[in-house]
Amino acid sequence: MTSHDVRDMLDLPGEAAPRPIKKAKLTGPRPVLKGLAREVQNLGGDNPIAIVPETTTFKKKRFGSRKPAAKWENQSFRNSAREDETLVLKHWRRKAESPAVAPGDEGTAAPNEVKLEDSTFAKYNVKVITAEYNDEQYQKHLLSEDWSRDETDYLVSMVRDYDMRWPVIWDRYEYQPPAITLDPQAAELAIVTASKPRTLEDLKARYYSVAATMMKVHKAPETMVAAEYELMEKMASFNPQQEAQRKLFAEAAFQRTREEAREEESLLIELKRILARSEKLSEERRELYARLDAPASTGNIGVFTTSQGLQQLLQQLMQADKTKKRKSLMGPDGTSPAGPSGLNQQASFDRRDSTVRGESISGPSGTNNKKGPSQGQTERRQLSAEEEILYGVRHFDRITSSGPAFRAERINKPITSKSSIQQQKMLSVLTELGIPHRLIMPTYAVGEAFDHLLTNINLLLEQRKVTEKIQSEINTILAIKKQKEEEAESKQILRQPEAVSGSGDVKVEEVEREKSAAPSINGRKRSASVMSAVSESTKRQKK
Amino acid sequence: MASQTLTSSMQPTDVYGGDEVSAIILDPGFSSVRAGFAGEDTPKSFVSSYYGVNEGGQVFGDDAIHNPLAGLDIRNPMSKEGIVEDWDTATRLWEYAITSRLTSFKQADPRNNGLNDDLKDLDVEMDGVEEGEKPLEEHPLLMTETAWNSPKNRERAIEIAMESWGCPAFWLARNSVLAAFGAGKATALVVDVGASTASVLAIHDGLILKKSIQKSHLAGNWLSSQIRTLFATSEPKVELVPHYTIMSKTPVDAGAPAQATYRTYEKEVTDSFRALEEERVLTEFKESVVQVWTGPGRLNSPMQAGMTNLEYAKSQPGRVFEMPDGYNQMWGGERFTVAEGMWDERAALPVAGEQPVQKGQTISEMVKASVNAVDMDLRSQLLQNIVVTGGTTLVNGFTDRLNNELTVMYPSARIKIQAAGLTAERRFGSWIGGSILGSLGTFHQMWISKKEFEEFGSSVVEKRCK
Repeated sequence: MTSHDVRDMLDLPGEAAPRPIKKAKLTGPRPVLKGLAREVQNLGGDNPIAIVPETTTFKKKRFGSRKPAAKWENQSFRNSAREDETLVLKHWRRKAESPAVAPGDEGTAAPNEVKLEDSTFAKYNVKVITAEYNDEQYQKHLLSEDWSRDETDYLVSMVRDYDMRWPVIWDRYEYQPPAITLDPQAAELAIVTASKPRTLEDLKARYYSVAATMMKVHKAPETMVAAEYELMEKMASFNPQQEAQRKLFAEAAFQRTREEAREEESLLIELKRILARSEKLSEERRELYARLDAPASTGNIGVFTTSQGLQQLLQQLMQADKTKKRKSLMGPDGTSPAGPSGLNQQASFDRRDSTVRGESISGPSGTNNKKGPSQGQTERRQLSAEEEILYGVRHFDRITSSGPAFRAERINKPITSKSSIQQQKMLSVLTELGIPHRLIMPTYAVGEAFDHLLTNINLLLEQRKVTEKIQSEINTILAIKKQKEEEAESKQILRQPEAVSGSGDVKVEEVEREKSAAPSINGRKRSASVMSAVSESTKRQKK
Repeated sequence: MASQTLTSSMQPTDVYGGDEVSAIILDPGFSSVRAGFAGEDTPKSFVSSYYGVNEGGQVFGDDAIHNPLAGLDIRNPMSKEGIVEDWDTATRLWEYAITSRLTSFKQADPRNNGLNDDLKDLDVEMDGVEEGEKPLEEHPLLMTETAWNSPKNRERAIEIAMESWGCPAFWLARNSVLAAFGAGKATALVVDVGASTASVLAIHDGLILKKSIQKSHLAGNWLSSQIRTLFATSEPKVELVPHYTIMSKTPVDAGAPAQATYRTYEKEVTDSFRALEEERVLTEFKESVVQVWTGPGRLNSPMQAGMTNLEYAKSQPGRVFEMPDGYNQMWGGERFTVAEGMWDERAALPVAGEQPVQKGQTISEMVKASVNAVDMDLRSQLLQNIVVTGGTTLVNGFTDRLNNELTVMYPSARIKIQAAGLTAERRFGSWIGGSILGSLGTFHQMWISKKEFEEFGSSVVEKRCK
């Protein structure tokens, strides 16, 4: 079928324009692909196949690119990782192609000595860092009843020599106390300690304690980076007894007989099998319980023969239905709800449980199915009390009125919610107290304390405001009173000012009451209302 | 050529960390001395440790010492424990091993450089070498030693290398460590059964654990003595006739007395020479006939149906061995019994003038003792890296038996035995390890240089080569 036929069928106009161009293109690359069969070329259709025919010109190339053989020379080199760097060894290296190094032996000898090449392997010379201390530090921090200074030195030198390979250190540890000691008593002491055999744990414990102490001495723990601190902690908390215990266990495990080994292996396989099955089993069991959860049909039918009995039955069924619904809401494995039929059901549950226990007492799945949900919870990580503090985890008996919120919100909230003047005032109080406006370490505890502080500052400001208001009011009233007295003196009319001063007294009293109540309750709003009340009264007064 | 992207000067160091400084590795043992250049896969120079002495002096090398006409007294500079006893001769022997094949010292006067002389005068030439050019002035020397070598011997070794051979740098390594390196392991339990000593010891990170060193004499030479006992006690007695005594032989039926014409020598052949030549026959016997019962169980332990393993072994097809004189015999169960003493002290054949084999000397007990002497944390690791080396371990079935014994001994541990498949790699295990070590670029910082030797004296070797 050609494209012409297709066009015909689809009622498209005859010859399309780009066709001849395509043809012209095709003729281009084709003749190049010489090695390919025509059929293979046709596979590609209009597009030429992306196969690059192999050219067999390797022979020509080989002869064409022949260069004179590379020159090699027995170069001297040194190794900066050596203690004695004067050792000069020789190895064969390709001669540098730069013409500068071309001249004869006498010419190159002098510069060679100057810039002798360093071994490329010198950089791999890594040394362990061992604890270092001087006499004073030893006397101050490292004294031990069990270890003499001399032996500690010996231990540290061994650790350095053998790069902390403890099995080797222990193997080669042959401490001989110094033979000649000036003090005869000390010599005796040394002889006593000489025969002391050290276990690997002893050596480790001593070295780690020395190293940890010296780390602390050289660098305060607060300034250490995490890795250093961790290392120090690890060394400081080395427990030789525990380590020895572990080795004893390991040895016991190592020396099991074939039968024991086989038994343990089979037990492990069994355990794996049981664990794999228990999931399935509990699922099945749950399903079974769901099916068996029909209302109890024990007891005789005689009870339901009366209409009262029937009513009771109906109620019971409805109750059962309700609990079922609730259950499905709670999840398929919710605890059995207590209801009128609860007693009955509980009994049946117990019975089932006991039978379940009887069935599968051999494995860990023998625990009853109520474990189901709690097992699900244990998957969540259990936090210790310290970690809970660390992560700021809190537990609420019920959800707070404000609902869940990010703690981060609280960093800004108390200040932004105020008017700018108020904010300014609060900030100035904070500055006065030397507390930063934004918390540097907003942990839960700090946030709470900050909150508390802000509330108190607020309170303080409010109270100051109120006192100022009251003061001004008193002043006004006094002034008015004075005026009135003057007027009364002049006019002899006393009624009006008396009434005004009476109402002012009431207000003051009210404010006083509010003030005393304020600290115990959330003061902000209350005092605000008081304030507005006061200001209203003063406005009225001014009128 | 086109595919080569790295320059050839960079390539080796980048690929395997090699940087060769044409170091020479010298690995002396009780039966042979191996020497060669670092970086090669087998020692170029393989010389018998035995040397001959006659009135003309000492002769070295296989070409010279097997000559029955020379009236040689055959000796060995090494002690039974693989430690050098006769330092003067050992020095000359090693020098021969190095200079005869490896180094090209400046040729002396052709009249007395030995190249044109016949073998009898070779010893004279050796003396000449000492006076002239120092043989190793351009080559660092890496020498091996046994794990139980004495500090005095070690100092002696560096003195020879530095003072008489003029090495620019020297290092002394334990042969068991090198055997482990040769097997590609830095932590291993090395089971080395050579000619004079069988040893088992643990290596951690390239350092031997001294407490774990176990050694016994149940090695190649002891096995030869077992075969001698076997020959002497079998019915009829088997005569051990070395090759040099035979002029011609005619084939005989199995078990029939030999029909051969013997050679006679004007000069009396010494006993030691005969022993050396007999040893060669025994070596052949060991290689072709002797087999270790591979297990399960011991050779004398009962199988099912009230049959012992030995009876079963006897029922298996035997092997024929023809002596140099033409006497031949089928060896059935006996070929198992001679090697059984290495594993079961009660099965060892009595050897005249020797103490009976102790339980602690058997290979499996040595492994046990060695493993028990290291830290608990290392044990399972060691059992997973057991390196078997030494010529005598090539006895048929050795590694299988070792594996069987250890799986019974440590049922809960994983046993993995690393035994080179190639004969040369097993025989030259420690030399190959030395070859690897000596060609590493990172090893250059370890060499004890001549300057250090001059500064600190020979005690530097104790300090450095741990």
